Amino acid sequence: MPNTMILKRNIRSLSLFAAAAALLMSAGSAMAKDIVFGASVQLTGPVANTGRYYRDAYELAIDKINAAGGIKVGNEKQKIVLKLYDNQSDVNLSVRQYTQLVSQDKVNFLLGPFASNFALADSAVSEKYRIPMVQGGGASDQIFSRKFKYIFGTLAPASNYFGSTIDMMKGLNPAPKSVALLYADDAFDVSVAEGTRPKLKEAGLNVAMDERYSTNATDFNSLLSQIRSKNIEAVLVAGHETEILNFVRQAKSLAVAPKMYSFTVGVPSEDFRKALGKDADYAFGMTAWLPSADQKDRWFGDAAQFAAAYKAKFNYEPDYHAASGAADVEALAQAIEDAGTTDPAKVRDALAKVKFESLYGTIAFAANGQIDLPQTVIQVQGDQLEAIYGIHGAIKPPKYPMPAWNAR
Amino acid sequence: MDLLAQILINGILLGGLYAVMALGLALVWGVLNIVNLAHGAFIMLGAYVSWHLYTYAHIDPFLGLPITAVVMFILGYALQRGLLNLVVRAPMFNTLLITFGLEVVLTYLAQLAFSADFRTINPSYAGNSIQFGAIVLPLARLMAFGVAIVLTVAMWLFLLHTRLGRAIRATAQNLVAARLYGVEPRHLYAVTFGIGIGLAGAAGGLYGTVSQINPYIGATLTAKSFAIAIIGGLDNPLGVIVGGLFLGIVESLTALYIGPTFADVASFGVLVLVLIVRPSGLLGKTA
Repeated sequence: MPNTMILKRNIRSLSLFAAAAALLMSAGSAMAKDIVFGASVQLTGPVANTGRYYRDAYELAIDKINAAGGIKVGNEKQKIVLKLYDNQSDVNLSVRQYTQLVSQDKVNFLLGPFASNFALADSAVSEKYRIPMVQGGGASDQIFSRKFKYIFGTLAPASNYFGSTIDMMKGLNPAPKSVALLYADDAFDVSVAEGTRPKLKEAGLNVAMDERYSTNATDFNSLLSQIRSKNIEAVLVAGHETEILNFVRQAKSLAVAPKMYSFTVGVPSEDFRKALGKDADYAFGMTAWLPSADQKDRWFGDAAQFAAAYKAKFNYEPDYHAASGAADVEALAQAIEDAGTTDPAKVRDALAKVKFESLYGTIAFAANGQIDLPQTVIQVQGDQLEAIYGIHGAIKPPKYPMPAWNAR
Repeated sequence: MDLLAQILINGILLGGLYAVMALGLALVWGVLNIVNLAHGAFIMLGAYVSWHLYTYAHIDPFLGLPITAVVMFILGYALQRGLLNLVVRAPMFNTLLITFGLEVVLTYLAQLAFSADFRTINPSYAGNSIQFGAIVLPLARLMAFGVAIVLTVAMWLFLLHTRLGRAIRATAQNLVAARLYGVEPRHLYAVTFGIGIGLAGAAGGLYGTVSQINPYIGATLTAKSFAIAIIGGLDNPLGVIVGGLFLGIVESLTALYIGPTFADVASFGVLVLVLIVRPSGLLGKTA
């Protein structure tokens, strides 16, 4: 008996050793040729819910490009490897991780985190080390107003999130007589409010409430009571998904039903609509991306195929965050091919000039590094999410005005 | 005028919810001298227990509260016997560290087990309301407020009039004397912690019914509960309800008159003021 035990143990340690050696060798040979993309994303912590879109989109897009042979650099094809850290929804940690990615892990290029306040801080690292970062999670205009040369963004500008919604509101019958603009006190939502205010004025809409609230607020009863008392007919909220869930639930429990309300986030996400159930009905939102087969893509075929592959692999629907994340990977791949080298400065110049059709739309960056995509107004109608109003005007009639809660 | 009345009612109902959240924290703090930094995480777990009961067993969240409380009581009892008892005589700093660690572990386990998806406990009546003229009373919040009052009064009567309650108070006041009279502190501490966690669990069930659940709601709820316990004082459960109501009203009025961004400033400002003016809480005995 003891003999067999010893034998077993030997076999186990031998096989472990062999496995380790094989791993080391494959890693060694991989490192010589592969192109490494580094990113720090919220896999845990309060923003993990949206952070996962980026992890999953990066993985899916990189797998797809590798399956097609990789990126053509000059005359040879190179595979992409992803180096991903979890920043635990902590901005300071994410800055440290990006610094580690460029200074110790020596990654070739950077993909972004989720959310404007993260991208705002992390882009300082890419700028300092002159490594291009393509990020699909930060839309705030602040990120692109600092004349940084190494930051590129694939989310449409925050200031224009409500642009198409306001265009639609002009044509509503009866037009809303008074509007409330509510926004959280962070980089993204403040940019949204700053861009929305002049647009509302231009449209001749009467802004009767303009209130900022603290990020992660859970109680909206005071704001909702004012909305009722001032007879506000349209409510535009720029905030985070948890806040908007609370806002809608509390609106119902206080019987506050304006003629319409619209939210910057939440409506396009499947699990947000699930959490609200029937109460999600009538809510407006916007998205810069819809999984349409008209949106052709070199690697995935088209946006519909991307959405199908994503759902099949991760078991939940992608929204514009995921498409934006996948577009970041494609933009880097395209720029590296255009530059014909992995030299960061040359790829940066190629990114500035890049222009190609993708699952996410036409990828091209303005001089400040940000993409410009129109937002399509969407609305929950019954259990369907419908596109209502786009760049060419009305797509489908909105359900308007929203009925009282007890008349649904 | 209607608006002011409505805001005051909102504040009172919010305060009731706050009070249930803080009740367990104040009890554990007062008796075991443990500032339980994992308190919010237990509220979060209680919310998930209620959510599972509601979603899979179709048990109404209010009727399910006793089940949630019992499940959480057992968890609390076991944690106290197995873990916290190790530091019960240790300096305050150690208990802070261990409960902080517990908070991190519970939060991340919750994300592994339940994912970061948003959940709500949304029975058909959750959004209903009762209207009196221009005043609206949200039904779920009103019911939560009722539960808060019942739990607080029950706690008060329990501590005042039952043998176990008296033993708990005796241990809090003078451990040596309590032991001389035959109180077994190890069991008693675990029961107290269990009750505290059971109350947190019940608060979680209520919270999930009026708000939303994800693994990360705990930390802010701990901070809120902490402020309420200090404002109300640790001496008796009625202090906690006064603290909760006070904070709820202050926050609602601040949001109306100064601006919603200042609600937290106001609540923690009140906390500092109370610490200066009445260090043992609004209803606490002054030293």
